Amino acid sequence: MVGSPVLLIAIPLLAAFLIPLLGMVWKESVRIIPGLVLAYLTFLSASLYIEVINTDTIVEIIAGWRPPWGINLVFSPLTGFLTTIMTFMGFIVWLYSYRFKRNVEFEAAKKYFIFLMLLVAGSVGIVITGDIFNQFVFIEIVGISAYALTAFYTGRDSAEAAFKYLIMGSLSASALLIAIIIIYSQLGTLNMAQIAANIDNMNPYYRIIAMIFFIIGIGVEAEIFPLNGWAPDAYTEAPGPVGGAFSGIVAKAGIYAMVRMMFTLFDIEGPMKILIVIGLITLIVAETSALRQEKLKRMLAYSSIGQMGLVLVAFGMGTKAGVFAALFLMLNHAITKPMLFLSGSFLTFNTTEKYIKQITGMAKKMPVVSIIFVLGALAITGFPPFSGFWSKMAFLSAAADENLLFIMATILIISIFEVVYYFRVINRLFFFEYDDKISIEPHKPGFNGMIALFVLAFIVLMIGFYPSSVTGFIDLAADDLMNTHQYIDKVLQLGQTIIQ
Amino acid sequence: METILTIFIIFIAGIAGTYFLGKLNGILRSVIFIATLLVTSWLFFTAVSPDVIIEFEVMGIMLSWGLTPLAYVFAIIVFGLSIIIGIYAVKAMEGQRSLNFFFANFLISVMAMFGILISNDLISFFIFWEIMSWSSYFMVVLNHKDVQRSGITYIIFCVIGAYAMMMAIMIIYSSTGSVMIGDFISNFHAFSPDMKWLLPILLLIGFASKAALMPMHVWAPGAYSNSPMSYTALFSGALSKMGVYGMVLVMIMIVQQIPDGYWIKEVIAWLGGITSAIGTLWAIKQDDAKRMLAYSSVAQLGYIIVGVAIGTPLAMLAGLFLAVMHGIFKSTLFMVVGAIERQTGTSNFTEVTGLIRKMPWTFLAALMSIIALAGIPPLGGFIGKWMLYESLMGSNHYLLIIVIFFSSTAAFLYCYKFLFGFFLGQEEKEWSHVKEAPALMVVPMVLMAIFSFVLGVFPGLILKPINEGMQFLGYVSTDNRFWEMSMIFNDWGNQVVMEPIVYTIFAIFLFFLIFLTLKGYKNTRYVTTKDISSSGEIPREDENFTFITGFMQPFFRAVAPVMKRQIDKYYNSFGKGLEALFDFTRRIYNGNGQTYALYFVIFVILLLMFRDSLF
Repeated sequence: MVGSPVLLIAIPLLAAFLIPLLGMVWKESVRIIPGLVLAYLTFLSASLYIEVINTDTIVEIIAGWRPPWGINLVFSPLTGFLTTIMTFMGFIVWLYSYRFKRNVEFEAAKKYFIFLMLLVAGSVGIVITGDIFNQFVFIEIVGISAYALTAFYTGRDSAEAAFKYLIMGSLSASALLIAIIIIYSQLGTLNMAQIAANIDNMNPYYRIIAMIFFIIGIGVEAEIFPLNGWAPDAYTEAPGPVGGAFSGIVAKAGIYAMVRMMFTLFDIEGPMKILIVIGLITLIVAETSALRQEKLKRMLAYSSIGQMGLVLVAFGMGTKAGVFAALFLMLNHAITKPMLFLSGSFLTFNTTEKYIKQITGMAKKMPVVSIIFVLGALAITGFPPFSGFWSKMAFLSAAADENLLFIMATILIISIFEVVYYFRVINRLFFFEYDDKISIEPHKPGFNGMIALFVLAFIVLMIGFYPSSVTGFIDLAADDLMNTHQYIDKVLQLGQTIIQ
Repeated sequence: METILTIFIIFIAGIAGTYFLGKLNGILRSVIFIATLLVTSWLFFTAVSPDVIIEFEVMGIMLSWGLTPLAYVFAIIVFGLSIIIGIYAVKAMEGQRSLNFFFANFLISVMAMFGILISNDLISFFIFWEIMSWSSYFMVVLNHKDVQRSGITYIIFCVIGAYAMMMAIMIIYSSTGSVMIGDFISNFHAFSPDMKWLLPILLLIGFASKAALMPMHVWAPGAYSNSPMSYTALFSGALSKMGVYGMVLVMIMIVQQIPDGYWIKEVIAWLGGITSAIGTLWAIKQDDAKRMLAYSSVAQLGYIIVGVAIGTPLAMLAGLFLAVMHGIFKSTLFMVVGAIERQTGTSNFTEVTGLIRKMPWTFLAALMSIIALAGIPPLGGFIGKWMLYESLMGSNHYLLIIVIFFSSTAAFLYCYKFLFGFFLGQEEKEWSHVKEAPALMVVPMVLMAIFSFVLGVFPGLILKPINEGMQFLGYVSTDNRFWEMSMIFNDWGNQVVMEPIVYTIFAIFLFFLIFLTLKGYKNTRYVTTKDISSSGEIPREDENFTFITGFMQPFFRAVAPVMKRQIDKYYNSFGKGLEALFDFTRRIYNGNGQTYALYFVIFVILLLMFRDSLF
């Protein structure tokens, strides 16, 4: 036992509070401590995850109050899988932004890393908690740190984007609170396992209302249409690595919360029409909007939203194959989209507008970053032999199993648009002449940023050439999500537990 | 280790070596590049046996690699062409941009084609298909010319085809639990009637997009003419044949199992015929040799598809034979254009004239290939076309014959234009500096020209593997009985009979050569092409009597109604309409926080309203 799941939340929270204090002693610690913390979290999460796979789900009880009274943390193959991805992506984002912010003065760096820590802590908390009110608190933590990070550049546009995010976030919080209140008034408990065990006793009318408010509450974080108006602005205005963190960490936590609610809390069997409909609409609107974008980060943001829609459709099929495909898509997206955001922000470093036309011919000046960008674009559009192909294949296979030919056709047609807008950028990058008048001055990428990009590129290639390296884990995670009764039993009757 | 795996490892090592070591030294790059092609082809032709099957599992799906006799025919095209074009490319690409990328990507394309041919299952087939798509895409845009239009058009048609194929593959996988091509064929009868129509059509869309069949041909002119000619030779010669390969499999193995599948065959055959007619007309109209050859490729692939779609033994034989021949002569012609462009700086007929004395070997290669393309005996194209006509007659497609005959005859017009425009006519001062292309470029071209001659005289050389491939498809063996299938083989088949004919032709050539040399040795006066008189006047030095612009105007007046309706325009307006629509959807995100809050409220209301149907 290397540690317990609670450390995954406690350490980054503690670090977030300690950073300003230590920063008074030694300024450089503001940059270094987050890295150490995130590296430790990744290590802890990975080793716990391996332990969970080999033995049994860890259910941790906080403060000695057993479920259903106290708060408990569940570290299962599913949550462990997501936590490991999130902490790892947090580390990558830190690695990228470690020197990225050297030019920024101390105060700004301090804020940036504090909020990054809170973002990771909150996202991990959303995933591993077993209590809906606790989850609500973590969603709020993520939300607040995300507003702050969006407004990081303190310009007019950043403030506006953050304010829009704030409006949507507060609306969603109230919706979530309503849902929680309805559930508590009906069942008298906030524990997820307890709710899941008693959900059949609930009045169907209240049940549906609660579910609707849950979907709306979490939907803002999960970027579903039409609640995702904040996303393009926030992704565009936030610093590049934060865009990566939003797509790689926050959106994943949002999707998890949504899916946990649908699969476990309300224990829905079979296809979930609502997820399929919402997912498809999100996908279509986002991908078609991306086609005509002029700003690189905005385009990536729409693409990210679209991918989240795809994930929801996959979950909505409600079958094992669908869940498998969805988790695979989440994994690939969590790696590829930050790769695109990070390399994209290197490419557009010396500009404030981040127009796509400003990177015309940049491949001549920044070949390696450009190649990594292309790798990400090929992976996300599902070209073999890169990682995205296998998840797209898993998705289509799951849809074909359910005979959802219409959905298959729709998604493939939408994918054509995706290919078109990504290839337009690739063309601009590689196959246009560098033009002093349009293109911007290239920025020499930092060493640490390049390492981060190389690590991500390596994972994309590894999954692409050898998908079996990850499919085993995804398979276990999918089993874990599908099996609601096992979840209830484990939490309420305590499998492998730690009592603190 | 299995030879197939060894070949892949050599390819991957070659790709990495070409790209990374190529940064150090250009010669090293060329050596690795050629060595990779040579070693892999040598291994392929000597050590790959059709019996070995490699199986492995990815994500719970069994994949299998092995070489079928049919694939062997196409592999001959791929490896044969890639070596010769590779040698040509080393010299031809000298001084161009991104050479490391070009050569590495060339190898990726060859590897992908090899992968397609050895795939016995649909998933690895698809993977290699997509690798081929993106690697060829990067070649199309490599020249930085017309990138956003022709490049994007090409990738759109690539992915339309690929996604149609992907959908079919996934339906097959989920209903049979296997992705083996063999299993699919043997289980096809068990599919529901709807699927029996949907699956072959989806697969055919996928293959037709690469084979540039109407109405999916619009990418071809732009893509073929914008990639470097050294690649276009492979693109048109070998890459497009992958589409033909897939179509052969589907048309013979699947469509024949559909009740009323007859109609699919007829439709595809007619599409092939129309493609060839339209392609030929547009080819005649072009003034740029690259675009002309691109349209000509579209037209020639039309013939091949007609043969494949008709599917009688003779038609199939004709289709596959034409596929091989087209690979040879069309890539030669693209290489010729590449050589001319390299030496003169342009590929436009209306600018370059009178190259015959400056580039005699290039002219020889061009002449031979043009003869083969036009279908004049004794070169290979003649045999293929003859067999095609005969098979069409034998299967009562009289109307289709008229279409094919029209396009085949009209092809003479652009053949003439090509030869005359570049090589004949009066010489201009402007081009007096032009020299013959370097030997490394000339030798591959002439070699290819010789191949097209050899295969025209000894068609048995290639008909044997084709025959084995057809047996794999379920046709009765026709070995040594070609004369039963077509009257042409009485004289020209792989029997001993034709040897005297070849000797006779050589003797006549030799005789005339000696006769002319002896006769003209003494009293030859060397003149320039400007040394002429016209209407009793001697034209001035700057006057040019070569008629090189606006060829065949009366012809175009006659066919104008056919050419007025261009499918590109419909696609363009469709695309524009879609973009305008998406510009509208983009405005849903209008950047106003109040609107977003309003969306939130509307969403809540909608969910509450439709809660019964959604949950």
